[in-house]
Amino acid sequence: MAVLTQRKPTRLLEKFSDETWRRKFLRNVLIPWIFICPLLIVHIYVVAIPAVQGVYMSMTDWTGVGMNVNFVGLDNYRELFFEDDTFAKALSNNIIWMIFFLTIPFIMALFCATQLAQVKRGGMLYRSILFIPYVLASVVTTTIWKNLMNPQRGIGAAIDNMLGLEDVFGVAYLGRPESALMSIAFIDNWHFWGFLMILFLAAMQSIPPVLYDAAKIDGANRWQEFRHVTLPGIRPTLLFMYMMVAIWSFLAFDYIFLLTQGGPGGASEVIATQLYKNAFFRFQAGYGAAQGVVISIFAGFIILIFVTLRRRGWDI
Amino acid sequence: MKGFKLFFAIAILALMLAPVGAQDVTTVTMWFSEGSTLDCWGPIMMEFNDIDPAVQLEIVPQANAWDVTRTAVAGGGGPDVVRTPGPSFVYEMAQAGLILPMDAFAESMGWGDFFFDWALDLGLVDGQLYSLSDELETLVMYYNVDVFDANGWTPPDTIDELNALAAEVEAAGLTVFSHGNASWRPTNEHFVGEYMTQLAGPHNVYKALSGEIPWTDESMVYAMEELDAHMQAGWYGGGVDLYFTNDGVYRRTSLAEGSAAMNIEGSWAIRGTVDYFGESGQTWDWVPVPSHDGTDYFTIGMGNTSSINANSAHPEEAAKFLTWYFSPATQGKMLTSCLKGPAPVAIGEDVMGELDPRIARVYAELADASANDRYGYTTWTFWPPKSDVYIYEEVERVWTGEISVMDYLEGLNELFAEELAAGDIPPIPTR
Repeated sequence: MAVLTQRKPTRLLEKFSDETWRRKFLRNVLIPWIFICPLLIVHIYVVAIPAVQGVYMSMTDWTGVGMNVNFVGLDNYRELFFEDDTFAKALSNNIIWMIFFLTIPFIMALFCATQLAQVKRGGMLYRSILFIPYVLASVVTTTIWKNLMNPQRGIGAAIDNMLGLEDVFGVAYLGRPESALMSIAFIDNWHFWGFLMILFLAAMQSIPPVLYDAAKIDGANRWQEFRHVTLPGIRPTLLFMYMMVAIWSFLAFDYIFLLTQGGPGGASEVIATQLYKNAFFRFQAGYGAAQGVVISIFAGFIILIFVTLRRRGWDI
Repeated sequence: MKGFKLFFAIAILALMLAPVGAQDVTTVTMWFSEGSTLDCWGPIMMEFNDIDPAVQLEIVPQANAWDVTRTAVAGGGGPDVVRTPGPSFVYEMAQAGLILPMDAFAESMGWGDFFFDWALDLGLVDGQLYSLSDELETLVMYYNVDVFDANGWTPPDTIDELNALAAEVEAAGLTVFSHGNASWRPTNEHFVGEYMTQLAGPHNVYKALSGEIPWTDESMVYAMEELDAHMQAGWYGGGVDLYFTNDGVYRRTSLAEGSAAMNIEGSWAIRGTVDYFGESGQTWDWVPVPSHDGTDYFTIGMGNTSSINANSAHPEEAAKFLTWYFSPATQGKMLTSCLKGPAPVAIGEDVMGELDPRIARVYAELADASANDRYGYTTWTFWPPKSDVYIYEEVERVWTGEISVMDYLEGLNELFAEELAAGDIPPIPTR
C-alpha cells in the first residue's frame, strides 16, 4: 500500500499541470464533446439502444404486444432463410427493384442533366417542372397514378377508346402479377428521377468549363465530352448516389404498400412490406425484427463495398 | 401596482382552488379514429356526459386510433377504454396483461342482461372476460332490383341457382358481382369465409375450427374450388386482374348504376349502399348468400371490441361508460342515427321499427339465424391471426394460378394446427 500511495504522478496528471496542454485539451477535446453531447445522447437513446434491442428482439418470439418475450436464438433467421419461401420471393423482388433503380433513373437523370446543363434561358423552369413530382407526398402520387392506370377510366382506357381498341392499353397493370412490380417501380421512378437529375446537374455545374474547352480543342465530340469530362467530373456524386439508391432499394415500402400491399399473390411483395405484415398483422414482431436486421446487413454490405473501393483509391 | 398585486393574488387563489373542483370529476378517455364515423358516433357518445357530471367521457380523435392505442398501452399509457379491431387482438393484449378482466363489472353492472349469451363468450380469454364485442356484422348478397326486374331474374337461394343466374347476367353484358380489393386487400377473406360457411356448411367449419377435421376436408376443397371457379370466370369485378384494381368507388357505383347485378358484402356496406343508390335513383335489396342446399346461413362477425386498460386509474368509471354505451338504448340510437352495426345486444322492436325495413331485416334474420343454429363464421373474428392473414394473402396465389386449392388448404391446415396447439384460437361459441 505504501508503494501505491507514494508512486509518481501519472503522465496524464503531469500533462494537466501544463497550462498550455490544458488549454489545448479544453479547446480541442472537451468543448467539442460538450457540444456534441446532447446530440450523442439523443442518438444513443433513439437509434443505438433501439437498434441493439431490435437485434435482441430478432432472437425472440415477441408478438409485438406486451413484454412476454422468449429467447429463441437464431430460429427466426433459420426460418427466414431455409423455410420461408415468401421471403426468398420478397428478396428477389428487392433485387429486381434495385436493378431497376440503378439503371433507369440514372440513365434518365444523366441524359436530362446533360441536356439541361447547356440550357441558358429558362433552365430553372425546366428543372422546377421535372423536380415537382419529388416534392409530392407518396400518398398523392399513388392516388394520381392509381387513377391514371385504372383499366376502366385511366389513360390506357382513353387511348383504347380513341383508337377503337379493346383492352390493349387499358389493362390492369397493377392487377397482373407479371406487371405489378414494374408498374410500381415506374410510378416511384416518376417521382424520384427528378431529384437525381438535380443532383447530377449541380455536380456538372461544378466542372470547370476549361475542361470542356480543352476537350473541344482536342476534337472531342459530344459523347466523348460526356464520357471523358462529365462522367469523371461527377463521379463522386454518381457513386455516392449509386450507394444510396442501392441501400434505399432494400427499404422500399410506401409506394408498394399504397398501391398493391404486396399483391397480387405476393407478386410485388418486398422485405419491408413483409416485415410490416409480420410485425403488425401476424403478431410476429420478433420474426419481423429478424427481417429488419437482414435489411440492415444488406445495407451494411453495400456500404462495405463502397468503403473498400474508396480505400483502393476510388474517388467516392 | 396595487391592482396588479390583487390580480396576482386572485390568480394564485384560483389556481390553488381549481384542482379542488377538478377532483370531483373523473374523466374516462377513449381514442377514436378521425373521420365520418366519429363525426356521427361522437355526438351520441358524448350524451354520456349528461348522465353523471362526476364521470365525463373524453374522446380523443387520432389519425389511426388502433396503431397509437397499441403503442401507448404497451408503453404503460393509453386511454381508459381500449378499442381493438377484433378478438385476436384482445387475446394478445390479455396475454400480455395490458387489459383488465371485467367479470366483476359484468356481474355487478348486469351486462349479461342485455348481451346475447354467446356474445359475452366471444370476449373470454382463459375463462375470463376481457372484451365486449361491438358492431355485429354479417355478409349478405345485395342486388340491384331494377336490373333484376328488367331482366325477369329472381335472386338465387342455392349455389346451383347462382351458377345459372350468373350465366344469364354475363349474357346480358353485366358483371355478376361488383367487386375488387384495391381499397382493402383483406376483402379476399370475406369470400373465403362466406364460401366455407355456405358451401362446406357452418358445422364443418366449426369442426375445422375446433380441430376435429382438417382444412383439407373435401367439403372445404369443394367450397374453395367453387370460389376459384367463380373468380376465374370473371364473376368478381369482371376478371381476376380487374378484381385486384377495382376500388370501393367502383364497387358501389357499378351496383348502384346497374352495370353489375349483385354484390356479396357485409352489413357495414348498408350505409354506402343507401347513399349510392340514393344518387342513382335505382332500388336495392338483399338476400342471404346462396348456400349449397338453400338454407339461409348468416356468418357472424365483430367489427371492434372494447376493453378496459390495465393502466387505467378509473376502471370502475370506464365500466360505467361501457354499460351505458352497450345498452340497447344507446346502440339503438346509433343504429338509427348512423346505421352503425349494433353490438350483439337485444335491441327493442320499437327501435328496429324506425329503420328501413330492408336494414331491420338484416339484423332480425341474423338474430333468428344465431338462435336457430344457422350461423356461420367470419375469418377475422374466429380465425387466429396468422391463419387469418394467410387466408386473405395466399388465396390470391390460387386466383393467379400460382398454387392449387389443395396447396392453399394444406398451407392453412399446417399454420392453423400450429396456432391451435399454441392455444391462440379466439373463443368459439359451442354449438
